[in-house]
Amino acid sequence: MNGRRGFGGGGGGSGRGKPAAGQQAKDGQRRPMFRRRKVCKFCADKIDDINYKDVRMLMPFVPERAKVLPRRISGTCAMHQRKLRTAIMRARALALIPYTSE
Amino acid sequence: MSRKYELVYVVSPEATDEQVADLHTQVGAIVQRIGGQIEKTDNWGRRKLAYEIGRHKEGTYVLEVIDGGGELMKEIDRRLKVTDLVIRHLIVRVDEDQGVVERTRARRTETTRRRRTARGLPPDRQPGEGQRGELDDDRDDRFDLGEEVR
Repeated sequence: MNGRRGFGGGGGGSGRGKPAAGQQAKDGQRRPMFRRRKVCKFCADKIDDINYKDVRMLMPFVPERAKVLPRRISGTCAMHQRKLRTAIMRARALALIPYTSE
Repeated sequence: MSRKYELVYVVSPEATDEQVADLHTQVGAIVQRIGGQIEKTDNWGRRKLAYEIGRHKEGTYVLEVIDGGGELMKEIDRRLKVTDLVIRHLIVRVDEDQGVVERTRARRTETTRRRRTARGLPPDRQPGEGQRGELDDDRDDRFDLGEEVR
């Protein structure tokens, strides 16, 4: 699943986000590969209440290094990202979620 | 006007069950004294902590939902701070957020019903109605993460 890399322009990352061989790119401009539109999980599943006690729900949003997963990757909408952040911070205070992983 | 709070406290793993129960009665006593009510108590039992808190690796979590004022919660906060057996606690006011959640839910059902009646359908979804949508897809990978975060 490397299809999500290099969303839009942004320059940089030369060569990394290039479409697969065979697709001709016009003068260095990358043609974005087909990418499924990202949807806010909480809007889609109609989760109104982002609760700090529900660790199972929060865990996908604190990957590996235990940082909060940015919106540009998860696709969460602004309102839900804000609520998610408070929930994660509360869960961290109670040692339900780590602040960092070593 | 009464407010609703959630109190979660983590008791040291060395504490016996009686000591945990004792803490609960202590909280109850403060609530009684200042005027309030414990709506719900939930003992989550022993859990592993996500990180060490003063060499403890485990803790007993207790949740209390309390109806009361700010002064009451201040007192509970103060008491829990000085209680050595409690290694962590958190007080969160919940009534406002719950109100927001209820209002959003109500608004959503209302809109669906209105739209459905506008389309000449019964306001509530009938069992077995509709086709298998995208959301029912078991292989739904919309929220799968790319390699960049792994």
